[in-house]
Amino acid sequence: MNRRNRGSSSSSSSSSRVSNTYGNRQFSDNPRTGSGGGVNESFQRRSDAPHKRNNEKDESKHKDEDPADVSLIVGTCSSMCPERERVTRERLRDLAVFERLYGNPSKSSTEIAVKKFCRTLSAADVQASDVRPLPVLEETLRYLLSLLDSKEHPFEVVHDFIFDRTRSIRQDLSIQNLANERVIYLYEEMVKFHVISHKRLQSCSGTSISSMHHLNMEQLAKTLTSLYNIYDANRKPDYIYENEAEFRSLYVLLHLNPSSGVMGEPLSLWFRKLTFALVKSKEICFVRNLLRLYRMGNYKNFLSRTASEATYLQYCISEHHIREMRLVAVQYINNVCYKLQPYPLLRLSQNLKMKELDVESLCHECGLETCTDPDGFTVLPVKQSTFRSPEDKFKVYDLIGIERIKMSI
Amino acid sequence: MAYVSMGEAHRRITEYLNRFCDAVSYQDSSTLCRLLSFSSNSPPLLSLADALNVFQDSSSLIRQSDRFSEYGEILAHVFRSLQSYRVGNLVEAYLAFEKFANAFVQEFRNWESAWALEALYVVCYEIRVLAEKADKDLTSNGKSPEKLKAAGSLLMKVFGVLAGKGPKRVGALYVTCQLFKTYFKLGTVNLCRSVIRSIETARIFDFEEFPRRDKVTYMYYTGRLEVFNENFPAADTKLSYALQNCNPKRERNIRMILKYLVPVKLSLGIIPKDELLRNYNLHEYTKIVQALRKGDLRLLRHALQEHEDRFLRSGVYLVLEKLELQVYQRLMKKIYINQKLSDPARAHQLKLEGIAKALRWLDMDMDLDEVECIMTILIYKNLVKGYLAHKSKVVVLSKQDPFPKLNGKPVSS
Repeated sequence: MNRRNRGSSSSSSSSSRVSNTYGNRQFSDNPRTGSGGGVNESFQRRSDAPHKRNNEKDESKHKDEDPADVSLIVGTCSSMCPERERVTRERLRDLAVFERLYGNPSKSSTEIAVKKFCRTLSAADVQASDVRPLPVLEETLRYLLSLLDSKEHPFEVVHDFIFDRTRSIRQDLSIQNLANERVIYLYEEMVKFHVISHKRLQSCSGTSISSMHHLNMEQLAKTLTSLYNIYDANRKPDYIYENEAEFRSLYVLLHLNPSSGVMGEPLSLWFRKLTFALVKSKEICFVRNLLRLYRMGNYKNFLSRTASEATYLQYCISEHHIREMRLVAVQYINNVCYKLQPYPLLRLSQNLKMKELDVESLCHECGLETCTDPDGFTVLPVKQSTFRSPEDKFKVYDLIGIERIKMSI
Repeated sequence: MAYVSMGEAHRRITEYLNRFCDAVSYQDSSTLCRLLSFSSNSPPLLSLADALNVFQDSSSLIRQSDRFSEYGEILAHVFRSLQSYRVGNLVEAYLAFEKFANAFVQEFRNWESAWALEALYVVCYEIRVLAEKADKDLTSNGKSPEKLKAAGSLLMKVFGVLAGKGPKRVGALYVTCQLFKTYFKLGTVNLCRSVIRSIETARIFDFEEFPRRDKVTYMYYTGRLEVFNENFPAADTKLSYALQNCNPKRERNIRMILKYLVPVKLSLGIIPKDELLRNYNLHEYTKIVQALRKGDLRLLRHALQEHEDRFLRSGVYLVLEKLELQVYQRLMKKIYINQKLSDPARAHQLKLEGIAKALRWLDMDMDLDEVECIMTILIYKNLVKGYLAHKSKVVVLSKQDPFPKLNGKPVSS
């Protein structure tokens, strides 16, 4: 994973960050962008009031309040894990594998202990010394993501740890109501983690994988939503952040199938809220095209465009749909072709951007037989009545053409 | 602001107070409506507002008489709201009106009969409109707009008050429609779900009992929700209901319904007459309809691009985009008809090369694999009846009805 070295790595003066975070905000004189009219009025602007996240905060607190009056927690914890939590967990032997000093289940250190996610939610219950300020959170995330390269442990274990600890990072960000470009970067990295996990978990095995997968999707959706809220919070007219278009495009890819309901809002409604600049961006145009092709069932173009133009993140999200489109192709072709002219697998493999052996495997997964024609080519006899959905929902075949993306995890 | 003497101000305020209390005593809903319609900017209300700004201490007037002080709290808020409204302090106007509305709803609850229902409608309407204005104000000052959201909560409260067994329940649909308008404006359309569920499943409500005007509005909004969720048959039913029951003189409303109904009908293979589009100024759909009639893909793409922004904002873009398959079907039919004229014996065989040629004429360059893919889709989805002979690179059409009409059903997914 590409980890840019952003900001300083010092964690000094962690307590006086409040004025800085608000100081980064920009106020716009011109409230509306080029799209004009009704849509943008439903677009909530949160230029100065602290924005509300997933939890509905007490409404009476926010009426007519000046931003300076709202009570904020400013974290003062200077290490990745608050001291008292670390000590407690050492005593209770509640240390994750990565937090054990030389494998000792009851000894950790400030270098490797990371604050756990905890469900206590109201700001009133939380102490400033338990909350990490922004520079510490940045350092923590950097450390966590470095563990992804670890070969010592199976991916599920690595994922599980990072999953929980990044959730805690998001909690600390939320409690402190932080929202600026550095925070955007953190959320983007966390989304990337969930997207890549989404892909990597598919090749893991084990009884708990499917629920891990599901939970990962859930957190992916939540993290994306938070990210979008921050993008929106300080919006200058027609301005989009460096990576915003790509991260917005992921939403579209998560909703290609109208009945998937991952995050609940239908795409037609979601598009209404996009600014003009986003709608015209390369990434959004790309996924809108994919959406059209997917819904039409145009497997050939969907697969060739994905193979030649998708970014790595877009590809990771699309794996399931790639599989779907291939199944659609096999189903359609089996259904509509002329019985006396079996379909050559070579041609099919080219259209589906697959290796020929993989196509054969796919056909068999669907309950269809393949055979060899008099010239020695493998073909799919059509009008077979045994077509069915494969049992394995997650089997992934290579996408020919996607190798162009340098995958530096 | 007009100059008003103290004496005149005193007179106007007292007159309002008397009118208000009379209206309540004699259960005169229509007068009460007039007294509360701030956004109508009626001369009597404006002149009252001027009077209030001059007199300043209207609460003393209220306290003076027992009759007035019975509704002291309500009236104080009304006055404050009206005063603020007049001087353009819209946020304050909203806040005061909200307090008034809360107090009014409490009183309304205690009145046994439903005499004040029309007045309650006015209060609901005003709260929404004032909230919208207040939010606009807040936004232009760089602050966070949250009054409309608050108005939504209040409207839900009112809904709760009306959702009972008595005669007041016929008012619930009006409040529902105000909620729809609020949620649509805020973009929090998913919140409509709970109130829809109440209306459609609660046993106390009988849909037919509600006033016609409210039923039309309700079907319009729920129809639009079906469009967002791409449930075309359901959207057709609801929007058609709204169209059929809408007052024919309300042309603006009819246009609003048609704006959504036309794409839905197109998805079901039903094409509107040109004069309908003309009469209701729906010119954005003209080229789309043409493209469907002629099988002209290039025209469809062009039309979608031309009005992209408008279609995206109203939420019909994805619906219209899907018409592509029907346009392909029409194109195939044209090719078939042409072939029938020149070579009837072999007309039912469409060569892939021939199709590719026709597409090239429309500036669409596709290789044979792509053309084959499109034909596969058309056949599978029953837009074309026949089969594909891959080796011969030909589509063989069924001799009977090779291009079945949709007949009111959407293209199968």
